[in-house]
Amino acid sequence: MKHPVRLQVNGRAVEAQVEPRLNLADFVRDHLHLTATHVGCEHGVCGACTVLLDGAPARACINFAVRCDGRDVRTLEGLSCDPVMVRLRAAFTAEHALQCGYCTPGMLITARDIVLRLPDADEARIRVELAGNLCRCTGYAGIVRAIASVLEARLSEPSEPSEPR
Amino acid sequence: MAGTAHKGVGASLPRKEDARFLLGEGEFVGDIHRPGMLEVAFVRAPVAHARIAGRLKPAGFEGRVFFMQDLDGVAPIRAVSGLPGFKASDLWPLARDKVRHVGEAVAMCVAETRAEAEDLAAQVMVEYDELPAVVDMEAALSAPPALLHEQWGDNVFLESLVDGDLAAIRARAEIRITRRLRTARQSMAPIEGRAVLCEWNGRLGQLEMHSAAQMPHITRAGLSECLGIDQGAIRVIAPDVGGGFGYKGILLPEEVCLGWLARHLRRPVRWLEDRREQLTANANCREHHYDLTLHADRDGRLLAIDCEAIVDSGAYSLYPFSACLEAAQVGSILPGPYTMEGYRCRTWSVATNKPGILPYRGVARTGVCFALEVTLDAVARAAGREPYEVRLLNLVQPGQMPYDNITRKHFDSGDYPEAVRRAVAAIDLPKWRAAQATGEDAGTDMADPRGGRRIGVGFAVYCEQGAHGTSVYHGWGIPMVPGREPCAARLSPDGILELRIGAHSHGQSLETTLAQVAHEVLSIDPEQVRLVHGDTAMTPYSTGTWGSRCMVMSGGAVAQSCTELGERVKAIASAVLDVPPDALQLRDGGVHVRGSDRCLSFAEVAHLFYRQPQRLPPTLEAGLEVVTGYRPEVDTGTFSYACHAVVVSVDTQLGHVELLDYVIVEDGGTLVNPMVVDGQIIGGTAQGIGTALYEEMPYDMQGQPLASTLADYMLPGATEMPPLRIEHLQTPSPYTRFGQKGLGEGGAIAPPAAIVNAINDALAPLGVELTETPATPRRILAAIEAAEVERSGSGTHA
Ligand code: FES
Ligand code: FES
Repeated sequence: MKHPVRLQVNGRAVEAQVEPRLNLADFVRDHLHLTATHVGCEHGVCGACTVLLDGAPARACINFAVRCDGRDVRTLEGLSCDPVMVRLRAAFTAEHALQCGYCTPGMLITARDIVLRLPDADEARIRVELAGNLCRCTGYAGIVRAIASVLEARLSEPSEPSEPR
Repeated sequence: MAGTAHKGVGASLPRKEDARFLLGEGEFVGDIHRPGMLEVAFVRAPVAHARIAGRLKPAGFEGRVFFMQDLDGVAPIRAVSGLPGFKASDLWPLARDKVRHVGEAVAMCVAETRAEAEDLAAQVMVEYDELPAVVDMEAALSAPPALLHEQWGDNVFLESLVDGDLAAIRARAEIRITRRLRTARQSMAPIEGRAVLCEWNGRLGQLEMHSAAQMPHITRAGLSECLGIDQGAIRVIAPDVGGGFGYKGILLPEEVCLGWLARHLRRPVRWLEDRREQLTANANCREHHYDLTLHADRDGRLLAIDCEAIVDSGAYSLYPFSACLEAAQVGSILPGPYTMEGYRCRTWSVATNKPGILPYRGVARTGVCFALEVTLDAVARAAGREPYEVRLLNLVQPGQMPYDNITRKHFDSGDYPEAVRRAVAAIDLPKWRAAQATGEDAGTDMADPRGGRRIGVGFAVYCEQGAHGTSVYHGWGIPMVPGREPCAARLSPDGILELRIGAHSHGQSLETTLAQVAHEVLSIDPEQVRLVHGDTAMTPYSTGTWGSRCMVMSGGAVAQSCTELGERVKAIASAVLDVPPDALQLRDGGVHVRGSDRCLSFAEVAHLFYRQPQRLPPTLEAGLEVVTGYRPEVDTGTFSYACHAVVVSVDTQLGHVELLDYVIVEDGGTLVNPMVVDGQIIGGTAQGIGTALYEEMPYDMQGQPLASTLADYMLPGATEMPPLRIEHLQTPSPYTRFGQKGLGEGGAIAPPAAIVNAINDALAPLGVELTETPATPRRILAAIEAAEVERSGSGTHA
């Protein structure tokens, strides 16, 4: 038994018929072929599946696609031109914040949220905010430094538009 | 060297592979879709040990559900070892007569979606006649409740002995310390699980398998044996792989099943391991037990080690590393970088009703380092000396290098005592000793009989043998032995350098670091270098990525092939520029006539060779494609090492441990990319901290796994990581191309030893000594309470 859903994904209207048990991660990955959103646990712990749901980070694996009817979903693919993301990508490379790259999309979406929401975050706060994203490769040092460096850069140069296009 | 320092060996070059991952354009197996693809779910055993009494497919779905008897022509996975006395196990891709651990695959179900495949799996009926479960490794050995493989007569894959006569030493040793130590079973838990996508290519008559794998060529060899088709009819592709750490260095039963299924159905089929399968059904690692005795003189000088160790190897010997590599390795590596007169070690690889084991980052070293270093601290306490002093007394000295230790491990180079001295200085030991004495900083509460929060400092030293070659590995007699490591280097017609290697990267940054090596040799810009790896059809055979070998072996191979390619470039340039080859020099991305401004870029040389052969002399034979196989001068492996020093505070009421400071002084020889090296060390250390404090895969008495989610199996998060400082010694290996050493695993080796030593240092005044990992609050409080009971007990009797 399938249900209709209409939602916005990366700024585009999407309509689909989905089974009630289909989660949002499988929906964007398998139905929309947006595979930047990764799946690491499917039970809401690892954060690899983090997307923006109505602008706030959410775990796609524990949100059902049917429950997203009428909502706005943004995956990493939809943030490629986002100015904060542009800065974060450069910082992630400069600080060696990724190795295998599997946790990276979820990390970037959480990182962007930290940058926009907590301009004064110090290292300890960044670490607390990252508590919902697991990385098995990096030991987090580079990720924390990358986020801190973007926060710092924005203090001296705060003028970028913060809304995604 | 022709390279310019900022891009070649020694440069912290930013990674070439980052861009695609940061845009979400990495391609992992789970990202690949094929038209008509079906999804697979497995029916898995709900009990640890049972005979299969009956099985029934749901009516109407007989063609969608498969048991072992349906997989005609498929042979079991048989990972043998040539070590004398080894008993092999048959791992049928789907259980045939018995199941031997919870999660063992019993049936394969296929449907349009994974959800539907799981629906189908739920309807498959399997009847089990339960047998007693063998859960504890000591019981498995001495009083087994059952036999896993009846024909063996016991539960022992292999017993091995490194013998030594210790009688004289025993008689004269003034200090004798005996400890029983345990390390918990762990799960390697990369964030991407295993994933397999298989399809049959009718045109090529070839099975094409995408698999999240570390060793594609070995996977292909094993698949061929199990499926009974020749290796040319199999292509294994490992695309981007989301972390490995040893977990993806195996031929999976699921790979065999899907290989058969794709060929049988002539349709693409896919299985994505979910986290529950990863944690409970597939391989675990590292459950060790030690009965360890150290004999020393009154100063703490080590005289002999006497050890009996058991490794819980689970139910089956896994391909290719086998069930016994880990325990047998314990016997050969336990003495490590310490000097001594006598050594004896008996080990058992024991079968239990748990999943088989794989070598996790550091393999047996993490357990061995824990056992030895924790017991060595007890020696130091008995001698009344600082733990670091006892280490300085016993470590191999730089003047002894190269050094063959008591188990004839050949240490290539290094200054171990210097690493200890620098760690002692960097952690500022006197400061913490003063803080312990006054209780300041620590929050020590003198009114609390336990002392509130207590501070402790711990040290641990390890060595890591990397890039073991033929001479070491053939002795194991397992299905793979590394030989010469190949690299195919090719200049494309537009002057791009393509490097093809048989190893694979799952986070190690080989696309960057091997480009740096090519730059070092040829001066070609790393941006002009393309690494092709992870595909058996495109790359030369290699045993793959394991044992911290890639930078030494693939790095050496790239350098060797590029050197030869450089000669060929010079030959072409020499003919065209009409100068002798030795008047030519490779620099700045091309070939230059020494002392003149005449030059040809690599693109020009390639263009000449491929597009304008009429300009070349007909006698010029050699092309711009070179395949060589590299082997270091001495192939027994490189030895990197480190001293870890950590300061902890232990809350004696809550059992909580906080890491206040952490210093690593390490020696990985010449560092090809120091940024990448630090990334490996920090990432490894995070895993080691998990081993020390959090990670544990417990089983109940029936053999049921008790950690089936990441909420039960706790991986360290960003808040669990301490401030970390790294210092490098760089003693080149005399045997490798640039002096580089393998070091990818080291970070994960020392933390359990260093952290537990620090906890024991903090709790020594309470008479507490932990000998088990992870040091969870429950274990710490239990140890404190036991010590209190003992003290009050002895008080009553006094
Ligand atoms: S996959 Fe969603 S939190 Fe792990
Ligand atoms: S980079 Fe591999 S999990 Fe984070």
